[in-house]
Amino acid sequence: MPYAFDAYVTAVSFDAGQKALFALGDGTVRFEDGAAQTAHDGAILAAVRHPSGQGLVSGGDDGRLVWTRADGAQEIASLPGKWIDAVAASAASGLIAFAAGRDLHVRDAADAAFSRTFAHDKTIADLAFEPKGRRIAAATYGGVWLWYARIEDQKPAKLDWAGSHVACVWSPDGKFLISAMQENQLHGWRVADEKNMRMGGYPAKPRSLAFFSKGNLLATSGANGVVVWPFAGTTGPMGKQAAEVGYDEAAAVVQVAGAPNLSWVAAGLDDGRVWACDVTGQRIVPIKAEKGAPVTALAITPDAKRVAWGCEDGEAGVAEVSA
Amino acid sequence: MTDTTAATPTHSKTPVTVLTGYLGAGKTTLLNRILSEDHGKKYAVIVNEFGEVGIDNDLIVGADEEVFEMNNGCVCCTVRGDLIRVVSGLMKRKGGFDAIIVETTGLADPGPVAQTFFVDDDVRAKTELDSVTTVVDAKHLPLRLADSKEAVEQVAFADQIILNKTDLVSEPELAEVERMIRKLNPLAPIHRAQRSNVPLDQVLGRGSFDLQRIEEIEPDFLNPAHGEPGHVHDEHCDHDHHGHDHDHHGHHGHDHDHHDHDIEATGIRGISLTTRKPLNANKVTAWLNEVLQAQGPDILRAKGILDVAGEDRRLVFQAVHMILEGDFQGPWKSDADRYSRLVFIGRNLDEAKLREGFEACAA
Repeated sequence: MPYAFDAYVTAVSFDAGQKALFALGDGTVRFEDGAAQTAHDGAILAAVRHPSGQGLVSGGDDGRLVWTRADGAQEIASLPGKWIDAVAASAASGLIAFAAGRDLHVRDAADAAFSRTFAHDKTIADLAFEPKGRRIAAATYGGVWLWYARIEDQKPAKLDWAGSHVACVWSPDGKFLISAMQENQLHGWRVADEKNMRMGGYPAKPRSLAFFSKGNLLATSGANGVVVWPFAGTTGPMGKQAAEVGYDEAAAVVQVAGAPNLSWVAAGLDDGRVWACDVTGQRIVPIKAEKGAPVTALAITPDAKRVAWGCEDGEAGVAEVSA
Repeated sequence: MTDTTAATPTHSKTPVTVLTGYLGAGKTTLLNRILSEDHGKKYAVIVNEFGEVGIDNDLIVGADEEVFEMNNGCVCCTVRGDLIRVVSGLMKRKGGFDAIIVETTGLADPGPVAQTFFVDDDVRAKTELDSVTTVVDAKHLPLRLADSKEAVEQVAFADQIILNKTDLVSEPELAEVERMIRKLNPLAPIHRAQRSNVPLDQVLGRGSFDLQRIEEIEPDFLNPAHGEPGHVHDEHCDHDHHGHDHDHHGHHGHDHDHHDHDIEATGIRGISLTTRKPLNANKVTAWLNEVLQAQGPDILRAKGILDVAGEDRRLVFQAVHMILEGDFQGPWKSDADRYSRLVFIGRNLDEAKLREGFEACAA
């Protein structure tokens, strides 16, 4: 199902019913059936699925955090004059985290009175809940800070590594934390002993990260194909090589999405194409063959049957993966 | 250096003007004019520490001036992380902007701001640096140059200078101030202004980093004729420039005025080199790379138009610290115009050594 939204697609996500929701640069959230809700007065800068599995939680350049479902948009928080450009949510704990400048804010989907604010020295670029949703990682300049999301008064655990960390993701077993850096590389920590891992060799910024295949594999953007790192075992990718899937000299992978428990990964390219691949057989299934503006948002359902994408110019779509 | 002969429909990129200047020089007045004048354009203004406020079509957004070093602290890879985030956020907005203006604090080093637009691939894909514009005021500039390293760097780094509050000084004082600016920065056109009343189309849309538009480099900063109102180099005087071709090739020597000592303490100045001998392309490219590699941290800016043996087009380059961009551009205007000239602006520059290296590049 193709769409022409006429605004930058910031994020796309499947809800619990496997229906796609799109968050756009014109402040609206769009639904698969063509319905729309206005969530923000301005651009949506970040959006994720709400902990309930229903609707999107989005942050905007209007300083608001909004929960949007088909029947309406509801403000969760408002910080006038700020930009909310990183949002994370945990279905496991029901918590929502968002960043505005140097502050990390936490809210509870089940308790409107709950509120925590954690200050950082530098601006936060990205947030990620640990799989149980109790700890939250904030990628910032000089490393990643870890906070217990519910505890009011605490000192964060600081995973230091010089440079600017622009994205972060936890391995599904919670053992590893991986960040993408301004330099063309990833940095990883084994959280238990803070052992460092440098994962380099990228021709471009690896901005999009996704674990799949029960946490055994990490897919990233930042190269001509999807870069896949092996994470099986206690040492993760240490001492191992990454593989590159779907290499195409003419294009770069800018978005990835993975099915958490399957060996399927989807890729969005800078020339507008989208494909999916079961990495066990490495057969590439084209999802969108027409070229166009760069893909800016991508999602795949847990059963790997559907892929949704959105592009810089507002082109978007949902398609079945014909395996 | 690669050859780009194709026509370039590349102007879907949003131009970015970086506005610098010490406190009180008139930056805010200029910004207010940009935001309030009836120009039919839509601007985004990135200021330091400020809530987001929209004025009609425009958007003001606050940023934190978070400077950080990439690649293990190389000064040339020092960028503004906050700008990367704000620019990527602005690009999501529906409709986009006609231009982005980045205001820096009075104490800011313009280098990291400018470098952000070359070093970050995502920012580079969507925007292009239009100019670094420095606002100074005629009354206080001599004092600021004497007591503020940042003021010196802002003047030295600029692509154009708005010399504000000219009504507060006499014509001889003004000439002296312009001479001081020229000594630091032989390249930047000087726009005289009162209450920042320079026409906006002269300030925005300069294309200072666009190699195709680096039409002329007139290293005549020691020329006493500078400071005449007619002498301002803006796009309107491109054409009549042949008409008043000054004799500016090392003719005036170096006047070691004693009252410039305070500026000289920073060691920053502009050095211009010219030669009528055609250059060897490989030699001059290697030499430029070598100079920028070795002295990149000290070289704020460089620009040049070179006459390469066996090539009918001009080899044009510009550099910010170690970041060098060069390309063959259109043909020479005339035989008289066909000679190599380049300017380095930086600190601790050894003019004799640079000249020797440059002249050794002759074909």
